[in-house]
Amino acid sequence: MVIEDLVKRSPLRILENSIHGGLGKGNIGVLASRKGVGKTACLVHIATDKLFQDKPVIHVSYSSRVDHIIRWYEDIYRELARRMDLEPDAEIHDELVRKRVIMNFNQEGTRTEQVLRSLEAMVQHGRFAAETIIVDGFSFPQSSPDDLRRFKEFAGRMQLELWFSASLKGPEPLFDEQGIPVELRSCLDHIDVLITLRHWNDRVQLRLIKDHGYTSPSELRLSLDPTTLLIAEP
Amino acid sequence: MAVDLSRLRNIGISAHIDSGKTTLTERILFYCHKIHRMHEVKGKDGVGATMDSMELERERGITISSAATNVSWGDYTINIIDTPGHVDFTIEVERSLRVLDGAILVLCSVGGVQSQTISVDRQLKRYKVPCIAFVNKLDRTGADPLKVKSQLREKLGHNAVLMQLPIGLEHKHQGVIDLVAKEAVYFDGTQGETIRREAIPPELKAEADKARQEMLDAVSLFSDKLTEAVLEGRETPEMIIEAARRGTLAREMTPILLGSAYKNKGVQLLLDAVVRYLPDPSQVENIAYDLDHREKQTVLSSDPKADPVALAFKLEDGPYGQLTHIRVYQGTVRKGEELLNARSRNKLRVGRLVRMHADSMEEIEEASAGDIAALFGIECQSGDTFVKPGLNLAMSSIYVAEPVISLALFAAENKSADSMGKALRRFTKEDPTFRTYVDPESKQTIIQGMGELHLDVYIERMKREYNVAVTTGKPQVAYRESITLRTEFDYTHKKQTGGAGQFGRVIGSIEPNSEKPYQFVNEVRGGRIPREFIPACDKGFQASLKKGRLIGFPITGIKVTLTDGAAHEVDSSDLAFQAAAQGAFWQAYAKARPYALEPVMKLSVEGPVEFVGSVFASINQRRGIIVSSVEDGLFARVDAEVPLSEMFGYSTILRSLTQGKAEFTMEFLKYARVPAQVAEELIALYKDRLQKEQSK
Repeated sequence: MVIEDLVKRSPLRILENSIHGGLGKGNIGVLASRKGVGKTACLVHIATDKLFQDKPVIHVSYSSRVDHIIRWYEDIYRELARRMDLEPDAEIHDELVRKRVIMNFNQEGTRTEQVLRSLEAMVQHGRFAAETIIVDGFSFPQSSPDDLRRFKEFAGRMQLELWFSASLKGPEPLFDEQGIPVELRSCLDHIDVLITLRHWNDRVQLRLIKDHGYTSPSELRLSLDPTTLLIAEP
Repeated sequence: MAVDLSRLRNIGISAHIDSGKTTLTERILFYCHKIHRMHEVKGKDGVGATMDSMELERERGITISSAATNVSWGDYTINIIDTPGHVDFTIEVERSLRVLDGAILVLCSVGGVQSQTISVDRQLKRYKVPCIAFVNKLDRTGADPLKVKSQLREKLGHNAVLMQLPIGLEHKHQGVIDLVAKEAVYFDGTQGETIRREAIPPELKAEADKARQEMLDAVSLFSDKLTEAVLEGRETPEMIIEAARRGTLAREMTPILLGSAYKNKGVQLLLDAVVRYLPDPSQVENIAYDLDHREKQTVLSSDPKADPVALAFKLEDGPYGQLTHIRVYQGTVRKGEELLNARSRNKLRVGRLVRMHADSMEEIEEASAGDIAALFGIECQSGDTFVKPGLNLAMSSIYVAEPVISLALFAAENKSADSMGKALRRFTKEDPTFRTYVDPESKQTIIQGMGELHLDVYIERMKREYNVAVTTGKPQVAYRESITLRTEFDYTHKKQTGGAGQFGRVIGSIEPNSEKPYQFVNEVRGGRIPREFIPACDKGFQASLKKGRLIGFPITGIKVTLTDGAAHEVDSSDLAFQAAAQGAFWQAYAKARPYALEPVMKLSVEGPVEFVGSVFASINQRRGIIVSSVEDGLFARVDAEVPLSEMFGYSTILRSLTQGKAEFTMEFLKYARVPAQVAEELIALYKDRLQKEQSK
């Protein structure tokens, strides 16, 4: 199969269709769940899908080491290639790697302003024309709503879309009656798309909580493949 | 006599250039009775400090070689390994940092943490070397050890803990308060050799109590026993030392010692701290590569009775021939014993075994695990591992990277050509990544290495140590050529111009091969090419690979399959088939869509975060790909892949971009296809050169 087909047949098209054609420039999307459910895999899947479409991605990580993140990308690339019978091709792989850059920050020692300064430097001085930024391991409880506002402003000014993961740590219930994670309520205004990942019938189900201004929870026709943690149709 | 490992320390002294490292080393040697008088660096007596044996290092104030010296302090033996302060010099740095188990990080009490302190600290971090800090030059105007302590914490991220307080600073500096023993310590006598311990002066009592409490708070984190004792007010110096040692070994704490080496103050207490807080060799895990099992990592045992494993970490030319500095990692190396060089597979007999002082030596019978010694008359290269015959372990990978850059070298005067040869022979022995040859076409001496700076250091050493002035050509990147398509050949070499003729016909194909640089497959059946001429064909193909016809560089990644051919009873010969193979190769090569490859380097730039933008830009401008950037508070590391051809002069550029606060390391990563535009330039250059050669 050629890459175009792989992109066309990706389950991520279902996600895009469910959220009015995708997250969109200037917007912030959040994948929220408890730790260890599969958020990083989802984010890397979203990023790899962008890379296959020739769109550069910056992967910001607050928690994992660079080599761990690279391993995630390698595993998911290999799995997607295997699943779609993509011919193993060192050039395609190298091309994907060229379009991806990983930026690692220590949230305790680095203020959001500094993170954004470095991201801007990467886009402008590094001439890295990213359209999507993945932000993994950002601790919402450790930050203030102001931090997310700054990210949102940055996304608007730089015409980028930002996908975050939010690791929910608090006591049960994690979600309110609308399905909104309690920990994220204070910064909901700055979030454009909110998706939660929850165990349901032995699978991890994706649930759309907020979609560009509308807060009307609905199940997405998507879940995580239990072995690969890739986003898949149920 | 086997050494009691708990009483042995192998240490390095790491420092910024002007923080007084050489003077400190000199004082250590003096107090350990290894030398009988002290010199100052660049002293009036013109002798210079004892450890700095290389002329170049004296002048530049840097240390590139790693000579070792052995001293005794009380019941302890300390080997001091001179460490390079140069981060770019990978092999040298790696070797000396492997050899030491702990380090003294020397800081100037006025300058504090400076850019080079940051780089040596990074080296220690990278190799997980536990360290103690010595804040030197307390007698200088502007001395502020407390500021240095906060810099150690903030700029370097050390959990730095003052184990002493100064008694007076600048010209009033008299001694230090030992917070562990709760005593004031003075250094009397003309050379500070007499230690006088007294009660803490009343005016410093309150400050000392406060600092001691802080120290206890920090240190007790590493020992519950100490925490309890402190709560009950019955802590002893032994308990404090034990807890601080634990913290230091885990690299979770850095004890700070104070003094002025120049004024002979504090050095003895620093030596106490070395034995107290830095690890003995048995507390450090050492890894070797098992050559029988694809270089699988194996942990060595510090048991002196185990089979010996030793690393040759430094070679030196002495008046009595080659001196090989070794560190024994396992077992015992004995005089008269037979060992095996794991790389060359040569057996060697241990002749003279000596323990080194900077410029004198002591004969010994044996050296056991953890010890550092030197051998005479051993033929080897730096980095070689000596093992008991039967063992197949190496301390470092035996695979040596191919050089990626070359320079033509000319002796400025005819008479120095001999010395130049001598110097080159020495360097190639010391460093397997440094090579030299005479170009058969231009008759020029070419040196090859792993980067611009790598070659610069040797050119400089040639001038200083061998008194050879040289001029150099432009650095030349080691490009390669390869092919895209599988193509077939059918070529007949035929010559009949009187005398014996030449005849050979070869049929087959060439194709890209990502597995090996060159592979030859013979599929000729029925003796169409007689068996005795097959090696000649192979040889002919290999000869073609030496110089490609696209940009004039060696060809790599080729598989040649010979399927058929023809021979003549009389006219066929080795020579004829070699010529046929070459003709066939070029026939096929032109159609195989050849392309150019260039060495791509793994670049790592480290520096303060405020410069990441400039660093990103500098990489982008050099056709580089940024792989990652890691920011931890104030510091950032940017990793990238950059073509070597774009990296000439990068150290100067980076220095000016970052006010000298960032630095980089670079190593060969892979060969990658040259982008079309750059390839066109290389092709044009090659054509131009060919034309010039032809018109000559």
